[in-house]
Amino acid sequence: MSGLIATISLLGLALAGVGVLYGAAWWLRTTGVPIAARPFGAGLEPAEHAVSRFHVRWYPVTMLFLAFDMEMVFMYPWVRVISAVGPGAVIEMFTFLAVLLAGVVYAWREGALRWT
Amino acid sequence: MDLTAVLLKAVAARPRVLVTTLPGATPVRLAAERHLRSRDLPRAVTPADADVLLVAGTHDPGLEAALERLWQDMPAPRFRAHAASAGDVAAAIETACSHLADPSEQRAHERGGRSLPGEDQGGHDAPDHASPEGRAGDHSGQGGGGMAMPAGLPMAAQGPDRDGLMLDQLHVALGPLLADWPEGLILRLTLQGDVIQRAELSLPAPRRPPSAVPFWTEPWARAAAGEQVHAAEAARRRAAGHLDSMGRFLAVAGWQAAATTARRLRDELLGGAGAASVRPAAERFARQVGRSRTLSWLTRGLGRLSSADAVAAGIRGPAARADGDVPARYRLWLTAALEDLDRLEDRRLLDPAREEPPRGRLGGPPSPSTGLAGALPRLLEGAELGAARLIVASLDPDPDEWVAQPVESAHG
Amino acid sequence: MVDAAPWWAVVTAPVLLAAFALCAIGYDAVLAAREAARPIRMTTPARPLLEVPRLLVSQPRRLPAPDALLWRTGVITVPVAAVLSTAVIPFGHVVVADLPVGVVWFNAMEVLTWAGLWMAGWGPNAVFSLVGGYRYVAQGLAYELPLMFALMTPAIRAQSLRVGDIAAAQSQVWFAVWMPVAFVVYLAGVLAFSFLGPFSYPVGQDIAGGLLGEASGVDRLLLSAGRWLLLAAGSAMAVPLFLGGGAGPVLPAWTWSAIKTLAVLALLVWVRRRLPVIRADRYVELAWVVLIPLTVLQALVPALVVLGGGR
Repeated sequence: MSGLIATISLLGLALAGVGVLYGAAWWLRTTGVPIAARPFGAGLEPAEHAVSRFHVRWYPVTMLFLAFDMEMVFMYPWVRVISAVGPGAVIEMFTFLAVLLAGVVYAWREGALRWT
Repeated sequence: MDLTAVLLKAVAARPRVLVTTLPGATPVRLAAERHLRSRDLPRAVTPADADVLLVAGTHDPGLEAALERLWQDMPAPRFRAHAASAGDVAAAIETACSHLADPSEQRAHERGGRSLPGEDQGGHDAPDHASPEGRAGDHSGQGGGGMAMPAGLPMAAQGPDRDGLMLDQLHVALGPLLADWPEGLILRLTLQGDVIQRAELSLPAPRRPPSAVPFWTEPWARAAAGEQVHAAEAARRRAAGHLDSMGRFLAVAGWQAAATTARRLRDELLGGAGAASVRPAAERFARQVGRSRTLSWLTRGLGRLSSADAVAAGIRGPAARADGDVPARYRLWLTAALEDLDRLEDRRLLDPAREEPPRGRLGGPPSPSTGLAGALPRLLEGAELGAARLIVASLDPDPDEWVAQPVESAHG
Repeated sequence: MVDAAPWWAVVTAPVLLAAFALCAIGYDAVLAAREAARPIRMTTPARPLLEVPRLLVSQPRRLPAPDALLWRTGVITVPVAAVLSTAVIPFGHVVVADLPVGVVWFNAMEVLTWAGLWMAGWGPNAVFSLVGGYRYVAQGLAYELPLMFALMTPAIRAQSLRVGDIAAAQSQVWFAVWMPVAFVVYLAGVLAFSFLGPFSYPVGQDIAGGLLGEASGVDRLLLSAGRWLLLAAGSAMAVPLFLGGGAGPVLPAWTWSAIKTLAVLALLVWVRRRLPVIRADRYVELAWVVLIPLTVLQALVPALVVLGGGR
């Protein structure tokens, strides 16, 4: 069986399992009439909708993360060619990482990794 | 064969219990915690996950609406149990389990729970989830700026943040009924993201007629009333009180194993265990928690409260002596609890003027817990939600002191 | 070497994953009973399973204006991602899909939880859930890069992204022995993406259960089961990456895979109960300033070994 077909069958199986659970619950639940609930507010009523433009104070970290994460994508193919390319591969990759880490140290000193 | 009925038996074998303690009901809470732990009945944190709503304590008109809210949010199978005193807990849980296992009751009474007072679901009539039209309407409401109110609620409004940016604000209350929280205390928070911009405090009003003497200060109140109380009893109560605070703090910190240990030690002490049997485990616990680098790394610098500020806020107990941040306070609880374990045989009489209860010397309103609560808004502003919970737990005001009679009148 | 996938492997993989998850839950229940000084009986490990019927009979809840589609998609993503990640994990000599980019596949499935849990946090339209969803993203920003370097380190030594090749490259000595930093960081990453124990920050007690706070019924069952399935998948993956795969004396390869997986699971379950919850606002700094440089240095070691002709 090819890898693609195998993984797709696995996905189908997992989704079928999820479907069976929802079906079982639909069949077994004490009542199908939903209870009209309110989001938990420690006993008080909600003041407004919770969905909002959430103030993400760690926003600079996400930028830093993106920069690093892109680089990781290069690293995956690089893994396979280290001995074929020779020392140059390792020197270039780790110089690149060192540059990125220098950036992290700079961001850290600027306080980008703290937000409270 | 009715399979649902069989499954309901399984629910009754291990229901999740949402314990809501009314202020003044500490003994009931302790009994409930002990009972649930020994029977392996897990505690629910929110009504969505609860099968049993266990109301611990006597009727409290101030919290009736909040209790009703929690009850209305619980999906069936569900049962509302009531334990007025510590002795009622086991029976209340027993009753709850038998009612949970009853399929006809569980099928019937949630239909009554469907109607909500003043409920406008914004035209959502689809049974299982919001209809597509409903959701489309919500989005137009977001852009429309206040005209459309999906499900009868406004969208978040904006306000300036600490950097002067205009950002969405959410208003959320911690309390009155929250797990591992001083019950009855309400902190109305204005949040931007998960950071607290502003915190407003409200405390439960004293009861009329006043409820009994707070459990944790009871030996002192009895001594002040002229009764002969041994110092050993006070030391035992104070050590247990500190361990109770530790249990709540550790539960909020997400260290379940240590929280369980603290509560077990507390219950052993209150059950009258001798120093020799408690001491080794207590020392191990104090070492493990007090020296935990992780816990101190996580709580360092939070909720800094100098002695001078604490005294000015009316705090008299260990929180004032700790003179520092969260780790300083929990370490002081641990040392104080261990010192008290040395005095479990102390036959001298308790002098309430010389020895203080767990949260500081009594005498005169405001009570020590009022002082502790009063310090909160200033400490919480600018804190992240998780840090705020840790700060509250590290001060741990006792709700019983708010609803009880002041100690002077106990003289008469 | 790892064999091509027989058809029954597709069915066996999720069953095995569930079995490992059940073992972990049972062991966790035993530890919990010991902490609470309850007597440990034959039924103790099975008691948490009563959650399943409890959640199946639960009445549906309707919140004001939830984003039901997003919510449900997020909830389903978590256990499904856990099952899909097993596709590349060899058990003994058998694997569902021996992809040439197996490590990348595992990484991708684990990152799916970011989307899933954020959606599960946003969907209910409740403040504590929302905070929980964002907490998971913040936690992800901290654990993900060290975890990726930790995944990369064995791949560098094997010069392959195929999980079977990585297991085979440990015929002399396990990678866990000479890549200890990567191993420990990987294990921490497993706890982090299954948001258990010290990394249960998104579902913290302090925010009333966070993104689990409004979940009831099957939704809650899937999220809770998803955590343990992710833990089991991560533990199973640790075996070919760091513990020599199915290699071992006397016993057949699949027994060694099972024994090693259970050992890793036991360790993680034990650790989970021993630490308080690590808040992301503290962990981000530690991860970026300490863990990333350490794991980069760790990745340099096998790179130099490869250059030195240690093929």
